[in-house]
Amino acid sequence: MPTNREAPLVRRERLEGPYFLLTFRHPEVAALARAGQFVMIKAGLSAEPPLRRPFSIMSVDPRDETFTLFIKTVGPGSAALAGLAPGEPAQCLGPLGRPFEPPPAGSQALLVAGGYGVAPFVLLSRELLAVGRKPVVFYGARRAADLPLQSPFAGLGVPLTLATEDGSAGVAGRVTVALEAHLDLHPGPAELLACGPEPMMHAVARVAQERGLRAQVSLDPWMGCGVGTCLGCVVWVKRPGEQRPKYRCACTEGPVFDAAELVWPGAAASRAAGGGRP
Amino acid sequence: MRLAVEIGGLRLKNPVLAASGTFGYGVEYEGILDLSRLGGIVSKGLYLEPRDGAPPPRIVETPSGLLNAIGLQGVGVRAFVRDVLPRLRAHDTAVVVNVCGESVDEYAEVSRVLDQADGVHALEVNISCPNVKKGGMAFGGDPRLTHEVVTAVRKATRLPVIPKLSPNVGDITVFARAAEEAGADGLSCVNTLLGLAVDVESRRPRLGFGTGGLSGPAIRPVAVRMAWQAARAVGIPVIGIGGISSASDALEFLIAGCRAVQIGTANFVDPGVHEKVLAGIVAYLERHGLEDVNDLVGTLELPVAGPLPAR
Repeated sequence: MPTNREAPLVRRERLEGPYFLLTFRHPEVAALARAGQFVMIKAGLSAEPPLRRPFSIMSVDPRDETFTLFIKTVGPGSAALAGLAPGEPAQCLGPLGRPFEPPPAGSQALLVAGGYGVAPFVLLSRELLAVGRKPVVFYGARRAADLPLQSPFAGLGVPLTLATEDGSAGVAGRVTVALEAHLDLHPGPAELLACGPEPMMHAVARVAQERGLRAQVSLDPWMGCGVGTCLGCVVWVKRPGEQRPKYRCACTEGPVFDAAELVWPGAAASRAAGGGRP
Repeated sequence: MRLAVEIGGLRLKNPVLAASGTFGYGVEYEGILDLSRLGGIVSKGLYLEPRDGAPPPRIVETPSGLLNAIGLQGVGVRAFVRDVLPRLRAHDTAVVVNVCGESVDEYAEVSRVLDQADGVHALEVNISCPNVKKGGMAFGGDPRLTHEVVTAVRKATRLPVIPKLSPNVGDITVFARAAEEAGADGLSCVNTLLGLAVDVESRRPRLGFGTGGLSGPAIRPVAVRMAWQAARAVGIPVIGIGGISSASDALEFLIAGCRAVQIGTANFVDPGVHEKVLAGIVAYLERHGLEDVNDLVGTLELPVAGPLPAR
């Protein structure tokens, strides 16, 4: 069950450019959160910006009673969070939403991240390692400067393949180029778990469909409440056996969906590609 | 300290309710909030049948506000009665159901279903939703239709009937009086202001439906003014709605003549906001030596000569 409380900022680490790691004290999120879940959070109580923002939980430390967000500051909400001084409170409700399901035993767990969508894969890598699974992470962005979150994966010993559209780091091209190269070399059972801008997740969904693989994708529409009351974050979802798609809340029935259940493109008619929470 | 108020037969233990469309059916907050701290919960609007609602994007932030076009997605009144009401009955708070219809007959039919159900304390008649193609604001934008809908709902139920008025009209007092004449027990003032936000890059509306309803702190002075005008025009109690996110905001509506208030958009900013608002109202009453919140209602002191219109 999610808990609504003040969550003071505990630690603030600036990465490259507009990227930050922000650690907040929130015992319930720290104890209960699973990879793919999110918090609704806002710095203070001012009228601007009006809404809390959903952010995917990057990691938790139950002993410390803290969780950490990976944030790209691109607007007033994310900037206000990154502008908090240690000890200053954020308003926070969480953990929320449906997490990633661990892929079945015996199939490769291939984690595909686009830009700041890499956040949940730190926690997911930890969860998989804890049960003896070895994930592989593909991390793509426009350019090398947008791949700031690499050290947590190195620390966990998780293989990380980079891809940049401008070729400034890793494989030149989109992250699905690196993913497909891996799939060609390592055929066999695999499951794709993706988080990033919608066009990237659509591409992952296509790769999965072509190769007969299952893909779970984490969508990122605007959310008002995070608990299914405002109905602002709906996406078209068609479940097996249903005659036609239904609008379902990404906050309560997602944000992680089976890619085959979504209506592409426009699964989360939402925000500009490249991402970031204003 | 007396906090209980009455809206034409609807008894509320305190004057702070959660507004329709911002609190789901209430049960979404089970386990997160103590629902019994609320004076009442106003449900998301319900038609006879389930509805898909409007295409996304459905919400967009605007300066100190929220523009939405949800389009009254909902489970339909029968599923609400079957699946939701039994859970709501477990909570000690008033349940007000927001009634919608594409026709006068549908409003009446939804009202009849709710009249027979156990656990509904009042009906709020939605004649002011700006985000549907049929019904909604059309009924609240023509005083004859307002009168017709409220008359039909009045005939269909013994429950208190509370039309929710639209701010998208020239003179709200005309609509307030039409509703009162048709037998309304109270009024909810006001729904969202019709707005449009444009994505300048794509040159398209930022909402999937096109236009939307504006809510939040941005609309509060407009809402206070319209609730004040309505309260002066009728003898039935008025519930103030529009941009309330603090006790001070709520007190503005009470002083302006509202018997109770609903909190809307602020529920998204802080789902526990109603407790803070109520605590702030109590502190204010203590500070001003008032024993009963009802003694504050309508105590606005008007300047002797000034721009306020005399009625």
